[in-house]
Amino acid sequence: MKPLTPPSRRLFLRQAGALSALGMAGAPLALNLAALGSAAAQTAADYKALVCIFLYGGNDGFSMVLPTDAASFANYTAVRNQMPDPIALLGPGVPANLAAALGSPERLGGVLPINPLNTQGRSFALHPAMASLRNMFNNDKRLAVVANVGTLIQPTSKTQYSQASHPNPPRLFSHNDQQNIWQTFKPEGATVGWGGRMADLMASQNTRAIFTAISASGNASWLSGETVKQYQIGANGAVRLATDANGLIYGSAVVAEAMARIVTGTRGGHVMEADLAAVSKRAIDAEVSLRNALKAPDHAYFGTPAANGGYDPNNDPKLLYDNPGTGAKSFNSLARQLQIVARMIDASDGAGVGAKRQVFFVGIGGFDTHDRQNRNHADLMARLAHAMRYFDNSLGAMGARNKVTAFTASDFGRTFTSNGDGTDHGWGSHHFVMGGAVKGGDIYGDFPVLGAKNAGNNNFDSSPNQIGNGCLIPEISVDQMGATLARWFGLTDTQLLDVFPNLVNFDASKRNLGFMS
Amino acid sequence: MVLATLLAGCGGGGDTELGGASANLTTSAQQQADRTMDGNGEQISKRALGAAPSDIPASRAEAARFLAQATFGATEAHINKVMALGYSDWIEDQFAKPRSIHLEDWEAWDALAKASGAGSTIGQDGVVNSFWKSAISGPDQLRQRVAYALAQIFVVSMQEDTVSGNSRAVAHYLDLLAHRGLGSYRNLLEGVAMHPMMGFYLSSIHNRKADPVTGRMPDENFARESMQLFSIGLHELQPNGEPRLVNGKPVETFTSADISGLAKVFTGWSSACPAYPSDSCFLTDAANGSYDPDRRLKPMVGYPKYHAFEEKRFLGTVIAPQSPPDPQASLKAALDTLEQHPNVGPFLGKQLIQKLVTSNPSPEYVASVAAAFNDNGQGVRGDMKAVVRAVLLHPQARATSSTSGLLRDPVLRVTTFLRAFGYASDTGRFRVGNTDNAVSSLGMTPLRAPTVFNFHRPGYVPPGTQAAALGLVVPEMQSVQETTAASYVNVMRDTVAYGWGQHNVMVNGVNLNRRDLQADFSAELALADRPDLLMDRISAKLMPGGMPAGLRAEIETTIGKMKAPPALYPSGSNQKLVDDAKRNRVNAALLLTLASPEYQVQK
Repeated sequence: MKPLTPPSRRLFLRQAGALSALGMAGAPLALNLAALGSAAAQTAADYKALVCIFLYGGNDGFSMVLPTDAASFANYTAVRNQMPDPIALLGPGVPANLAAALGSPERLGGVLPINPLNTQGRSFALHPAMASLRNMFNNDKRLAVVANVGTLIQPTSKTQYSQASHPNPPRLFSHNDQQNIWQTFKPEGATVGWGGRMADLMASQNTRAIFTAISASGNASWLSGETVKQYQIGANGAVRLATDANGLIYGSAVVAEAMARIVTGTRGGHVMEADLAAVSKRAIDAEVSLRNALKAPDHAYFGTPAANGGYDPNNDPKLLYDNPGTGAKSFNSLARQLQIVARMIDASDGAGVGAKRQVFFVGIGGFDTHDRQNRNHADLMARLAHAMRYFDNSLGAMGARNKVTAFTASDFGRTFTSNGDGTDHGWGSHHFVMGGAVKGGDIYGDFPVLGAKNAGNNNFDSSPNQIGNGCLIPEISVDQMGATLARWFGLTDTQLLDVFPNLVNFDASKRNLGFMS
Repeated sequence: MVLATLLAGCGGGGDTELGGASANLTTSAQQQADRTMDGNGEQISKRALGAAPSDIPASRAEAARFLAQATFGATEAHINKVMALGYSDWIEDQFAKPRSIHLEDWEAWDALAKASGAGSTIGQDGVVNSFWKSAISGPDQLRQRVAYALAQIFVVSMQEDTVSGNSRAVAHYLDLLAHRGLGSYRNLLEGVAMHPMMGFYLSSIHNRKADPVTGRMPDENFARESMQLFSIGLHELQPNGEPRLVNGKPVETFTSADISGLAKVFTGWSSACPAYPSDSCFLTDAANGSYDPDRRLKPMVGYPKYHAFEEKRFLGTVIAPQSPPDPQASLKAALDTLEQHPNVGPFLGKQLIQKLVTSNPSPEYVASVAAAFNDNGQGVRGDMKAVVRAVLLHPQARATSSTSGLLRDPVLRVTTFLRAFGYASDTGRFRVGNTDNAVSSLGMTPLRAPTVFNFHRPGYVPPGTQAAALGLVVPEMQSVQETTAASYVNVMRDTVAYGWGQHNVMVNGVNLNRRDLQADFSAELALADRPDLLMDRISAKLMPGGMPAGLRAEIETTIGKMKAPPALYPSGSNQKLVDDAKRNRVNAALLLTLASPEYQVQK
């Protein structure tokens, strides 16, 4: 069954977008949105932000959240202990062997048990490099696990998956396309993502639309709305276009004035020139607004105060993580991205910003662990855990934990099987949701059965959740996970069905996964 | 004046000297590598020469437009040559130019680095700087521009440390693309598939056959990406590049089963090794401490013991069970299957058009390039020279509209500027290095793409733009956002003022204390008090197709409003004031042109 999207409503929004593109934004758009039915949050005075942490390359959820009941762990160990470089992590309680190679499972020690409220009759653990998240899950209860999430058009059983008539998402297992489907529900080429759609619906709450959908990690289709355009901010703040501190270029004011006109206008009539000019205009406008609104990165909220203004993020202890591959401290670029997100959130009520609802995007690459998975994945898990804990600490210092929810997303999960030193492209995977408004300390969704590989075939007959190479068929769709977040963000039921095109195909009782308070 | 002489001397002298030095350094490795690349022979078909050129450009502006597509930036010399030879013969002339050898640069510069200190190596910079050297000063411009395009299709990246740790081999990989990129596609694909740098990048080296007892599976990385990115793409295509639709839906070219089948072919490949085919050679590239010093350059070798012996099915091809396992036969069957797939012509042809000429070619344009791929006119399939001719000589490559052309990536914006003004390297080593930083530099470094999906996807549609509303793709917009839009202008501001590349203090015993690449702006400085003439000169160099009148007027007026160079006192005591005022005017005129959206779009 094809998802049903209210056509008139989508059309209406698109027309509103077209109007604003023609320079008739403002009033007509606001009127249209009001006519479409206003969400509760559109009059809300509170502040909320959603932060997407994208793990580029396809994260191996099998080694991030592990079932440690005897049968599951035995199958995990058997499937993943392959020569020449076994990638099975060790069981709970195994002490780290400090004589073993850096990054190896022996050196890391056993997986770290977690205590979900609902055990599903099993036991669970996190990757050994995630001690800070284990504490956040067990003690702080600000971290939840959503089990076996992925791109789906409708609920899909193992039998249905292989039926030609059953609608599966297009281009499964393809990096660029699955990244896009996670972000936009369409393969590469899509221009409207669900973060951006939420921003469309909430932008009227903000004084300036430009500060509604913000990336600290390059262009991301997730952030693009029908009307809202994403704004990209540098790790240290907005980058000033060519002028010095006195507003001059080569010591000249007339050159600076001409520059502003030249880069924001176009005289040649070419479409690409006009699009470039629009980006430069946003760059200049936003930088002026943010110049004084952002606190310095070494403010105690987000960094370690530096003497004499000599802040060096590469040496800020708050941004350094324990690198399991070297045994030393290393700079965490993901934490650095989350630092500017925290600074933006802190500045959200500042003059010239005035934001009540914001969506942010950060990301790190390297998750395509076809080889050398032990060392590489341990490093990524350590960086992710450190960055999330750093962000939680910063929000805590700001008193903003309850207003901000962060979640992980990724191209896809990976194969359960090993190729000798790594894993290949999969489908469903486990994800984290973090924040003060998260009902943490629990696992949401039925945790999949991890079967044994059959001698005669590659179909993992003993698991209803696994297909070839032990890839997971997602139990929870991106739509369901996104809708649960979006409901907290303030979208109405009607809006949820509009933003999440496949949500209608899932039972009404399962459209809210319950992990948000 | 002294400065100008010195510059010219360093640039020219450096090249000659390095040529000699690297000739001495030519190793058996390189000879071996070159022989390997030549081994399968190129399909060459040239237009009948000798006839009078029939396609002389109508104007120098037209010649410059063509050169923007075919080189790293138009120069006076190349415009003259195109005007003399016509488009077709200029292309043939370029094909015949001696090939820049990146491996030679890398080895020469690495020797210098090693001489400077124990344990030193030129490393990744040797690859990147050699790229800049050939882009700025190489005689084989067309070959290197095509190689730059191919390096963004057949991606290996030094962001991966197994690749960056073998940078000498990356230089060799770039040579392979430059060489076979104008040979046959089949040889190019084989060279790519068997190069150890691809082996490391897409984890096909040391990859073992499945173990049915333990459940180990072959690594699928190269099998998947070689189909998706290097040959046939995800959808069945019509000859004009449009998707073939069945019941209104595109048809996927391969399934998971095809990937698993092809993955078996790419098992059992490892390094060339003196004790081949010992287990130790397969597993560790060495046996008893003995290894091939050129194992990272030489094509990977098939080790039958580790190669899947069972039946392999993919894309309708069936390789029967082999006893003994025969990796070379499996490879041939696989690459032949990929090369013969009807998608390759439109899939590869469209991307080359996008990289050289226009982001949004018409179906007719793609069809003509695909036809040249399918048959070069002499019944030969996959002749890359025929493909390049078809890309550059199609009537739509000569036409312009408000949507044609492409957004120059940051590297091409810089090379176009440097070539137009004859920048030369003080050291002769084009010391540019890493330009990854998106705030302080270009946000990209050649041969350092973030993933195998390159810096820019050919299908990228920039959200919320006029281009998107018109249904256009603009691949290079993928890296354009508020940060990079600003940082590009900042980078050019400093490049215009200080030069390009890394800072040198002493060069050949002379204290230069400046960036490595410098230009002689004496002709422009002489026009500093004549904004009209200054803009004539700058627009002719940077926008030879014509600067829009509004832009021209804006810049010319601005220069006129800047502080005028005062008259020089007879004593010369105000020389610096005069020089600074002139230089500021020239700098501003250059920067305002380079910053304009009009310059950034290659039309």
